Amino acid sequence: MEKSVLCRLNSVSEKYPGKTAFRDTENSLTFGEFNELTRSVGTYLSGIVSPGSPVAVMSGRHVYTPACFLGAVRAGCFYAPMDGDMPVARLNQILGVIKAGVMLVDRAHLETAESLDFDGTIVVTEDIINTPADDELLKSREDGIVCTSPLYVIFTSGSTGVPKGVITSHQSLMTYIDSVGKVLSIDDTDVLGNQSPLDYIAAVRDIYLPLSFGASTFIIPKNEFAVPAQLFDTLNRERITTLCWSVAGVELPAKLGAFDVSKPEYLKKLCFSGSVMPCKYLKLWQENLPDVLYVNQYGPTEATASCTYYVVDEKVDDDTVLPIGKPYDNYRVFLLNEDNTPTEQGKIGEICVSGPILALGYYGNAEYTQKSFVQNPLNPNYRELIYKTGDLGSMDPDGTLRFHGRKDRQIKHLGHRIELGEIEEAAKKIEGVLDCCSLYNKPKEHLYLFYTGSATSKDIVISFRKNMPAFMVPRKLVNLDKLPTLPNGKIDMQTLKSYFK
Amino acid sequence: MDELMEILEELRPDVDFENETALITDGVLDSFDIVALVGELNDAFDIEIKPNNLVPENFNSAKAMYALIEQLQDE
Repeated sequence: MEKSVLCRLNSVSEKYPGKTAFRDTENSLTFGEFNELTRSVGTYLSGIVSPGSPVAVMSGRHVYTPACFLGAVRAGCFYAPMDGDMPVARLNQILGVIKAGVMLVDRAHLETAESLDFDGTIVVTEDIINTPADDELLKSREDGIVCTSPLYVIFTSGSTGVPKGVITSHQSLMTYIDSVGKVLSIDDTDVLGNQSPLDYIAAVRDIYLPLSFGASTFIIPKNEFAVPAQLFDTLNRERITTLCWSVAGVELPAKLGAFDVSKPEYLKKLCFSGSVMPCKYLKLWQENLPDVLYVNQYGPTEATASCTYYVVDEKVDDDTVLPIGKPYDNYRVFLLNEDNTPTEQGKIGEICVSGPILALGYYGNAEYTQKSFVQNPLNPNYRELIYKTGDLGSMDPDGTLRFHGRKDRQIKHLGHRIELGEIEEAAKKIEGVLDCCSLYNKPKEHLYLFYTGSATSKDIVISFRKNMPAFMVPRKLVNLDKLPTLPNGKIDMQTLKSYFK
Repeated sequence: MDELMEILEELRPDVDFENETALITDGVLDSFDIVALVGELNDAFDIEIKPNNLVPENFNSAKAMYALIEQLQDE
C-alpha cells in the first residue's frame, strides 16, 4: 500500500523521466525535472521547518506552483495554497487560521506576501530551486509520513465570516484520484487542460492525475476564458484530451459562442462538477463533440473533491436534469432523514458520506469539526465517522442518486461554494449598511444584496472588492427603506426574491 | 456612450472605465464579467457580439467597446 503521494512521484519520475508533466505558456517541466525541483524545495524547507507543519504557498498559474506544493510534502509537511489575486484582507484571514511558520511565494507575489500580517519566514521559490538535494534528509522526512497524514488544507467559505480550512490526507486524495482516473480511463497519453485556480479543490485532478498515471497537464492562462476562440485554439495546439472543469467553466465557451468558430479536435473526455449543469449548454457540447465521454460529478471538499459520478450516456435536452449518479470506488454514500433514520428509496434525505475519503476536519477548529463529522447514527457498535453534506438527495431503484438542492443557505455561484451568511457578515461591516440579506437568483446567476442604510452601491462593491474574493462580490445591490419581515420577525426572503429583475 | 458607461458602472462600480485601457490584458475584467457584459450589451444595443469579436482589443477600454457597438450596429 502506498503511504503517500511521494510514492507516486518517485515511481512516475523513474518511469517517465523525460516526459512532460506540467506545461504553461512559458515553461515546461518533465517528470524528472519536476521531481528534482520538489527535492530541492523539500531539502531547503526541511532545514527551516519541522515535519508535520503547514507551509503556506502563494504562487501563480505556472508549472512551479505544483512543484512548490510537492516540495512542501517532501519536507514532511502539508501545504495551504493561497490565491495571490485575492484581497489582502482575505489572505490575512487564511493566514490567521493556518498560522504557518513559512510562506513559499514566487517572486511575482513577494510584494503581496510582504504586505500581509505574517510574522513567519517568507521564502522565494526562485531563490531556492537550485538547492542541492539531501537524499538522507528527504528520506527521513518521507518515512515520517503515514497515509493518514495531512496533504493539504484548502479554504472554503464559512457562514460565520471566517473561511474554513478543509484538511485532506494522502490516503483520501489517492483514493479519489484512483477512482476518477478509472472512470475517465486516464493513461500516459492523456493531456489535461487545467482551468481551476491551482489553490482550489478542483485543481487536484490536474495536479495528481499526472503524478498517478503519467499524464500531462497544461495550465491554461486565465485570460483565455474571456476569449473563447483563443481558448479552443489553445486546446488544439496543446492537443488536450481531457478536461476536468467546473460547470461554470464548461458553460463559458458555449455561452460565448466558441463552437461557431472552432472546436476542440483532440478532446475525448470532459468531466465537470461544482454546481448543477444547465443542460442547454451541455447539449451544445454534445452536438459539436458527440464522441466525447461526459461525466457529471458531485461532492463536497470535505469528501475529497467528488463522491459520486454519472456518465452521461444519453443525448440531453435543454431541460434534462442529470442525476449525480453512483458513488466512486471506495466511497460510501447514503441518505438520512432529519430524525437520523435511513431514507426510503425515492424519498428525499440528506446526503451523507463515509469512507477513507473523509477529510480530517477543519484546521484549528475542533468545534466545527465535531459538529460536521459525526458518528454514523445507524451504527451503535464501532467508531464510524460520516460527513453530513447539507445537500438533499434521493435514490432511484438502481441506486442512482439525484440532487435536490441545499438544506441551508449555501449556494454555488460561478463554480464556487458560497455561504450567503458570509456575504451578509461582510456587508454588515461596511459603514452605512444597517441591515441586509443576500439571496441568489439562480436562473440569471446574479448574487443579490438587499440592504438598508446610507451606503451607496459603489461603496459596497468597493469594500467587497477589497476584502472578498471576486466571486463573492454581489452583482445586484438593492437599497430598501426597510427589509420585509415575516410575522415572527425573520426576514421575508420570498418577498425579497420577488424583487429579482 | 452614456448608456454604455451606465452598464459598465453597474457591472463593476469599482473600475475606472474612463481611463482604463487594458481591461482584458491586465485581467481587470474576468471571464465572468465578459459573459455578463456581452449579454447586457446585446440586449441594450440590439446587436449580436460574435465570438470573433471577443478579442482583447475590442474590450480593453470603454472607447473600444463603443467602437465595436457602433460597428455592429452598422452591419
